[in-house]
Amino acid sequence: MNESPPPTTVRPADQSPQVVKNLELKAALLLLLMMALVLASGAYVLYARGFFERTQQLVLLADDSEGVLVGMDMTFAGFPIGRVARIELADDGNARILIDVKSRDARWLRSSSVFTMERGLVGGTRIRAFSGVLNDPPLENGAVRQILRGDALAELPRLAASVSELLENLTALTAADAALLASLANLQTVTEKLKGPQGALGVLLGNEAEARKLVERTSALLARADVLTGRLDSLVANADRQVFGQAARPHGVAEQGGLVSETRTTVKQLNGLLAEVRGSLQKVDAVLVDAQAIAGNTRAATTDLGALRSDVEATLRKVEHLVNEVNRKWPFARETEIRLP
Amino acid sequence: MALHFLSLAQASLLHLGRRARARWASWLRVLLLAAQIIVLALASSSYRSGRQRQTILRHIYLATAPLLTWFLVLSALISLVLIRIVVATAVSYGLSQYALEVVVRTLVLELIPLYAAMFVAVRYSMPNAHGIRERLAGLEDGGIRRSEQELLQAVLLPCALAAAFSVLLLAALSCVVALVLSYLTVYGLSPWGLSAYTHSVGKVFSAPVTLIFSLKTLFFSLAVAIVPMAATAQRDSDGRYSRGSDITELARLFSVVLLVEVVSLLGNYY
Repeated sequence: MNESPPPTTVRPADQSPQVVKNLELKAALLLLLMMALVLASGAYVLYARGFFERTQQLVLLADDSEGVLVGMDMTFAGFPIGRVARIELADDGNARILIDVKSRDARWLRSSSVFTMERGLVGGTRIRAFSGVLNDPPLENGAVRQILRGDALAELPRLAASVSELLENLTALTAADAALLASLANLQTVTEKLKGPQGALGVLLGNEAEARKLVERTSALLARADVLTGRLDSLVANADRQVFGQAARPHGVAEQGGLVSETRTTVKQLNGLLAEVRGSLQKVDAVLVDAQAIAGNTRAATTDLGALRSDVEATLRKVEHLVNEVNRKWPFARETEIRLP
Repeated sequence: MALHFLSLAQASLLHLGRRARARWASWLRVLLLAAQIIVLALASSSYRSGRQRQTILRHIYLATAPLLTWFLVLSALISLVLIRIVVATAVSYGLSQYALEVVVRTLVLELIPLYAAMFVAVRYSMPNAHGIRERLAGLEDGGIRRSEQELLQAVLLPCALAAAFSVLLLAALSCVVALVLSYLTVYGLSPWGLSAYTHSVGKVFSAPVTLIFSLKTLFFSLAVAIVPMAATAQRDSDGRYSRGSDITELARLFSVVLLVEVVSLLGNYY
């Protein structure tokens, strides 16, 4: 291309131009579309980043800011209300996490609010705010608060140690000389015995001879129980006959007595006796009425005796007074009065 | 025998050296052409002539409008499939809160600029570069030779600007389509998810990420605009404009695009 060019006419690139109607308009529309897209995208990203939103600042202090990134959210009840704007190291060695809280959401933060930083097993670190008392004064702009840390990953070493211990126990359980394996072998022997001719009895008694002996004894016991049952049947028949008197005699003659019929007769006799007693009691009632009248008379006589007694007492007092008068008037009567000088 | 071996080694080393020098020179020419086209694109003198402006506008229209419909359809389909896969996987693992972020990061930040660039390269830039080279060869056969400046300004600049513009517009439109489809897939037609969705998107597009994304798309568009043109403007060893290998040009373009992608990934995630 550096060779000296021969004289030519300047022609644009395409030598066979396609005719495009309203080319300038269409191209201008494309350029405008491009410009509009770029501007709208820029504005949307700025809006999404909260560029047009008023914020207030909150400073959280943490001893370790690992996992905290610029741009991550601070949530309240699951809603993002703030965003980490900057992380810096303070003079005292603590991490200062500067958070921009949207002004319209700042009302959820109170002076008593608590801030936590959690690291889960899945996902990144999360900063969360909790406001227990929403009546407290609102959090002031530029407030500095200590953040509480909770790290699920810190539990991992302990968890790993526990899992390791568990695996060791499992290994010991499943080892060739382990008790579990021996137990399983014994269980297998037992099940084989259970499947054998003596079945569960062979397992319980240990050997075949004992099992056979037990079977024989059980058979003898069952025979005796059979005999006993026959005797019990006879006993019940006798009792039936004694109580109800309905049982047939061995020779086919029905017995007419029986405890129940005798009892019925006795009850009839008792009814008659009770009727007689009722009559006697009526007579006793009449006697008692008479006795009550006598008692009333006696009570009246007793009242008269009281009057008589009071009369006698009055008469005796008069006699005593008379005797006293005689004694006083008698010449040898003693001087009862003491005269003072 | 030893002398023969030495001469063979010397010949192969010479061959390798020549190839390395040619490759190095070729890359240098690409860089030089890129610088020239950028300077010309920024110079107001390039747009003074009405005919030149008409040519640039026509190229911009021809590079963009015919591709727009099918590219958007294809992009929407690919986006929909990827969004469904990511959202369904995230939900099945109980990580639905990260689904949108993953979709925006993978689709909008990484994939869409890449396949927009490759689409424009395959459908417009490389075929156009071949056409220009063929016409240049025809002109030379007719005894017409052009100066380098003339070639750059009248032929290469409109094509390069058109290709770059096409990449940028298709990528931007496709990103918007992908964002809308993401919203519809996650929240449906309800308007109540808009706030949370905007928050999630804003969380992804931090200042460094936005800057890297913009630069990456710009460099993709420049690569698509310039690398095929560099091959067009480059004469053969015998000084002619004979047809070159498509695969070689595509590999060269792809290596540049890949380099930009790797650098952007390093910037975003390291």
